[in-house]
Amino acid sequence: MSLQKEFTKGLWEIVPPFRLVLGLCPTLAVTTSAENGMGMGMATTFVLVFSNLLVSLLRKFIPSNVRIAAYIVIIASFVVIVELMMQAYTFPLYRALGIFIPLIVVNCIILGRAEAFAGKRGPLESIADGLGVGIGYTISLTVLGAFREILGSGTLWGLKVFWSGFEPFTFMVRAPGAFVALGVMLALINFISLKLEERKRRAVS
Amino acid sequence: MREIIRMVLVLTVICAASGFSLALVRGFTKAPIDYSRLKFVKEPAVKAVLAGYQNDPIKDRLVIPVGKDKKGKPMNLIVFPAKKGGKTFAVAFEASGAGYHGDIGVMVGLDPAQKKLTGISIVSHTETPGLGARIVEPKFTGAFKGKPTDKQLAVGDISALSGATMSTKGVVAAVNNARSLFDKYRDKMLQ
Amino acid sequence: MSFGDYMLFIIGAILVNNILLAKFLGNCPFLGVSRRMDTATGMSMAVIFVLTMAGMITWLVQYYILVPLDIEYLQTIAFILVIAALVQLVEIVMAKSLPALYRALGIFLPLITTNCAVLGVAIINIQAEYDFFDTLLFSFSSAVGYSLALILFAGIRERFAMARIPKVFQGTAIGLVTAGFMALAFSGFAGLVGH
Repeated sequence: MSLQKEFTKGLWEIVPPFRLVLGLCPTLAVTTSAENGMGMGMATTFVLVFSNLLVSLLRKFIPSNVRIAAYIVIIASFVVIVELMMQAYTFPLYRALGIFIPLIVVNCIILGRAEAFAGKRGPLESIADGLGVGIGYTISLTVLGAFREILGSGTLWGLKVFWSGFEPFTFMVRAPGAFVALGVMLALINFISLKLEERKRRAVS
Repeated sequence: MREIIRMVLVLTVICAASGFSLALVRGFTKAPIDYSRLKFVKEPAVKAVLAGYQNDPIKDRLVIPVGKDKKGKPMNLIVFPAKKGGKTFAVAFEASGAGYHGDIGVMVGLDPAQKKLTGISIVSHTETPGLGARIVEPKFTGAFKGKPTDKQLAVGDISALSGATMSTKGVVAAVNNARSLFDKYRDKMLQ
Repeated sequence: MSFGDYMLFIIGAILVNNILLAKFLGNCPFLGVSRRMDTATGMSMAVIFVLTMAGMITWLVQYYILVPLDIEYLQTIAFILVIAALVQLVEIVMAKSLPALYRALGIFLPLITTNCAVLGVAIINIQAEYDFFDTLLFSFSSAVGYSLALILFAGIRERFAMARIPKVFQGTAIGLVTAGFMALAFSGFAGLVGH
């Protein structure tokens, strides 16, 4: 498998949280605006890439029956680094994301990639995999955040997108709207891939 | 047995490496973190009580040790100076007073030359919503602006909020605490 | 706090600020194990048990280890290790002494380490500056709220088998939309506590 393929599969084939239905809590909680979604995605990507790299480098030294514990320590260390860096340099974003920064530690995407990929593959492939999945996740969160922000607050990246009399659909930025928005987006992705498959099948026959 | 030793060894090494690198990161992010916290948490209050300064009061903050707390940990008072042309003309710092329900934290701005309050802003409180909690309103805090600092402030000097006398008293007490702190550490604050 | 305050606190944690539907904690197992009622019940019991224990232990770790040593910045890593170790320990003890319970809950225990409701509640306890008793109460009621949502949701989901669902919505998508409407219903409970 080429590095490029390892990277691009994260963008569509297994794009979280749609194809790889993992990491839902932050997806639902922080996507009240595009900016928050993107910040969360980037923080997760950072942790994912570095934990993948380290897990891959250490895979020969870690005995298999304690591997999960070792992975958790590695992941948690990078999460603490992200926490400290965000507090130091992007404090407003740190406050907006709140408890979901430390909770990156239990984001199943990261442990999932360590277990399913990085624990078995070389460091370069693992970085490519981490970057691909991370960027895929970031894009998903940003799009979902933008969708909810436009409908829920009538803004995008803090800028007004509607005429002045527009009444924002606040349901979208509240908790129930998060579930519904994600559900609808998931259905949309299913729809697109169904159509793509159909086209492929027709092209073959 | 060898297997177990190896397991323990690997985990110990990983934990140690993680602890070491985290301590390192902590070391170089500590100063920026302290700065960001003050910048985003305290600066709005500082801005509300000081005006006309040309410096960054957060960056120029002074840390004055003020004795120890109950557990023997040293306590610090953080003072934000407002400067014009390199000279401090007013200072702001937090003081607290007992309200109806717990302590009220108040950012107090003082102008030592004119012996006047430049303003106050409520930083933290747990007063009753709708009654005591109205102490945060500019209508109430604005009444403190320009009050003299060379004598004890009395509750009568401020029109108390109806139904929230205790909360009003708490804020006045906090201002008086700030006055005594200022008298005690005047030289350090104005250096 | 008076007795009435405690009741409000408990009801608030179970219904109004439901950790699953209002705070979005623990969604992966929520969608994962809610296809059948019996697995949902098993998971609920395991969550109540581990979450309450973890809440208390992490509180002790925070105030008797991290704070005195001035290493609060290691909170995340310390808590997750405590939770992982606790889950492992519970698994071993339960397998030895309560085999019947272990057979019922055993398969859910490993999943709980990565259930963000556990770590989430542990962190909330510290951030809200709860004392030990509040922590115990909050952890337990949050876990009960989680179970309530999970079991109700499994009940709804079992009926999907009989419903005609558009193809693109099948599976997780319809689950999420349903959860959204449940969250909407739960947000109605906010009127119970009032402001």
